[in-house]
Amino acid sequence: MDFITGLTQYMIENRSELLALTIEHIVMVAYGMALALLVGIPLGIIAARYQKLAPIIISATNILQLIPSLAMLAILTLYMGLGFQTMVIGLFFYSLMPIVRNTYVGIKEVDDSVIEAGRGSGMTPLQLLGKIQFPLSIPFLMAGLRVASVIAVAVACLGPYIGAEALGKEIISGISLQSDVKIYAGAIPATLLALIADFMLGKLETRSKQRMA
Amino acid sequence: MKRFINSSVFALLIILLAACGTSASSEGGEVFEYGAQKNTDPKIMGQILKLLVEDQTDHEVNITEDMPASPQVMGGIDRGDFDFATLYSGEVYNNHFDEDQVEYSTDPEATLEQAQELFGERYDMKWYDSIGFINQYSIAVKEDFAADNNITTMTDLGEYANNMILGTDNSWIERDNDGYEGYQEAYGYSFEEARGMDVALMYEGIANDELDVVTAYTVDPQIIEYDLKILEDDQKFFPPYEASLVARNEVIDEYPEVADILDSLVGSISTEEMTQMMHEVDINKRDAAEVAKEFATEKGWIE
Amino acid sequence: MEFITDYVMFWQDEYQSIMTYTSEHLLISFVVIVLSILVTVPLAVYMTKMKNDKIKSLIFNIANIFQTIPTIALLAIMIPLLGIGFAPAVTALFLYALLPLLRNTYTGIKSIDPSIVEAAKGMGFTTMGRLFKIELPAALPYVMSGIRVTTVYIISWTTLAALIGAGGLGDLILAGIGYNDQYMIFTGTLLAIVIALLLDLAFGKLEKKYTNA
Repeated sequence: MDFITGLTQYMIENRSELLALTIEHIVMVAYGMALALLVGIPLGIIAARYQKLAPIIISATNILQLIPSLAMLAILTLYMGLGFQTMVIGLFFYSLMPIVRNTYVGIKEVDDSVIEAGRGSGMTPLQLLGKIQFPLSIPFLMAGLRVASVIAVAVACLGPYIGAEALGKEIISGISLQSDVKIYAGAIPATLLALIADFMLGKLETRSKQRMA
Repeated sequence: MKRFINSSVFALLIILLAACGTSASSEGGEVFEYGAQKNTDPKIMGQILKLLVEDQTDHEVNITEDMPASPQVMGGIDRGDFDFATLYSGEVYNNHFDEDQVEYSTDPEATLEQAQELFGERYDMKWYDSIGFINQYSIAVKEDFAADNNITTMTDLGEYANNMILGTDNSWIERDNDGYEGYQEAYGYSFEEARGMDVALMYEGIANDELDVVTAYTVDPQIIEYDLKILEDDQKFFPPYEASLVARNEVIDEYPEVADILDSLVGSISTEEMTQMMHEVDINKRDAAEVAKEFATEKGWIE
Repeated sequence: MEFITDYVMFWQDEYQSIMTYTSEHLLISFVVIVLSILVTVPLAVYMTKMKNDKIKSLIFNIANIFQTIPTIALLAIMIPLLGIGFAPAVTALFLYALLPLLRNTYTGIKSIDPSIVEAAKGMGFTTMGRLFKIELPAALPYVMSGIRVTTVYIISWTTLAALIGAGGLGDLILAGIGYNDQYMIFTGTLLAIVIALLLDLAFGKLEKKYTNA
C-alpha cells in the first residue's frame, strides 16, 4: 500500500514533467511511424507490382526488424549522433516491416475479379492502384500500423541511451537509481500509450473493414 | 492517401527544424551540453557544473543523462553533441588506442597523463586534472563473509572463489587489460560463474544473496549501505579511474569565464564527499540537482 | 582487407565466449517458447470450450496488456519481484509470448468447420478423442505460425535480458557498447539476426509440411 501511495504522490508531484515526457514520446513515435508510412506504402506497392522484387524488399525490412534494439541504437548513433532524430530513424526502421508487409499482402489479397472488372471499365494501372487496390488494402495497412505502433512505443523507451528523452527517462534512471517508483512512473504511462494506440488503431481497422464491406 | 503524404512531409520538416535547434540561453548566453553516463557521479558533477556556470555567467548548461557508457559520451563530444563530461583516467586502456600508442600502467599519474594526452588530441578537448575522487573497479564481498573467513585481500578470496557467483557490469568480462581474463591471470583463480548486468542491479543482487561477490566501483555508496567490504588489490591489478572534467577546446578557448569554472573544480571533491552525495541520491532517493546545490552552498561556491 | 583479418582474429580470440553467449541466448529463448506453448495451447483449447464470453475476452485483454508493456519496463518491473538473472528474464519474455500463441491456437480451433465436429460426434468420438484426433491436428498450422512469429521476436528481445544479468548475446552487445568495441556489437547483432532467420526458415518449412499433410 505504501508503494502505491508513494507512486501516486510522485506522479502527482512530477505531473508536468511526466506530461512533457509523454508528449515527447508520442511525438517521437508519430514521426517514426509517419516516415515509415511515407516510405513503407510505396515499398509495399512496388513489392506487389514487381513480384521479383517482393522477396528482396520483404526480407530486407524483416532483417531491419530483427536487429536487437540496443544494437540498432548503438549503430545508429555512430552515424547520426545523439538525440531525437536518431531515435525517430530507429523507430522508422522498426515500423517499416509491418507496414510494408501489410500493404503488400493487402494489395495481393484484392480479388482478381475486382481487378478484371476495373480493367474492363478502362482503368489505367495507376487508376486501378489508386481507386481499387490501395483503398481495398487499407484494413490490412491499419492492422500493420497497429502492430508497428505498439513496437514503436516500446522501443522509444530506450531513448535515454541515445540522449532522446521520453518516458524511458523515468524507467532507465529508475533502474540506475534502483527506484521502483520511477520505473513504474515511466512504465505505466508508456503501457497506457501502447494500449491506447492499439485500441484506437484497432477501432480504425474495424471501421475501415466495415467501410469495405 | 493525400493526408498521409501531407502529414509525412510535415513530419519531415519538423525533424529538420528540430535538427537545427536554437542554443541561446534566456540571458543571451550560450546553452552548453553536458553528457552524463548512467552512474550517479557524472550526473552530480553535471549538476554542480550547471549550478556554477549558471550562477557565475549568462550561459546555461543542459544535462543529458543515462548514456549507456563513456564511449557514447566521447562519441557525443566528438560530434559536438556534448561540450562537457566527466570521464575517468583508466579509460585510456579501454580499447581506444593501439597497443603501441598506450602503455598499460596502474600508476595514477602515468595513467592520467596518457589519458590527457591521447584523448585530448583525439577529441580536441581538454582533460582536466582529477576532480579528486576515484571511481575504479574493485572486488567487494559482504563484510560478515570477509570477517568470518578472515579475508582482507583479493588473494585471500582465491580459496573460496570457485564456489562464488560474481556480479559485474556487462563489459568487465570482456575487457582486455583490466577485465576478468587479466584478473584470473593476475590472481590465479576464477569464480564459479561471472554474470554481467546493469550496475545498480549488481548491488541489489549481492544484498539479496543472489550474488556472492561484485566488481564494486570505489565511489559507490552501496558499498557502505549494504555492508560490503572492498578487498585490497594486493597484486596492484586494477588501474586507477580518477575522475576528471573534460571540455571541448573550442568552448574553453572562446569562453574563458567557463574555463575558469572548470579549472576551479580541479581537486575540489574527495572520494568521501562524492560517496556522501551519491548516498543522498542513490539511497535516500533525493534529486541530484538538490544534493549538488546543498554541497556547493556548503562549500561556499554559491550563495 | 585489414578489417577482415582483424575480424577473423576477433573470432579466434573470442570464439569461446561467443559460443557461451549464444548458448545462453538459445537456452533462454528455448525455455520461454516451450513454457509458453505448454501454458497457452491448453488454455486456448479450454477457452474454445468456454461458454462465458466475458472471461474469454478478459483473458485476451490481459495477454494483450502484457504485450504492450515496453520490454525494458517489464524487465525492470520483474526485478523487485524475482530478483536478477534467468528467472525474471524468462518470466518477462514468457508474458510477451502469450498473446500471439493464444490468439493463433484459439483461432485455429475455432476455424474448424462445425459440421466436421458434428460428424465426429456422430461417429462416436469422445470430447478428448475429438480434441486430439480432429481439432488439434486441424489447428496445427495456426499454432505453428504462432510459434514461428513468437520465436523470431523472442530471439530479438532476449538481447535485452543481459541488462538484468541473464546473459545471452545482449551481453556481447552491451560489452561492446561499454568497452568501445564495434566487433562485439556487430557480432552480437549478426548472430541474433542469423539465429532468428534460421529458426524462421525452419519453422516455415515445418508449417508447410503440416499444412500440406
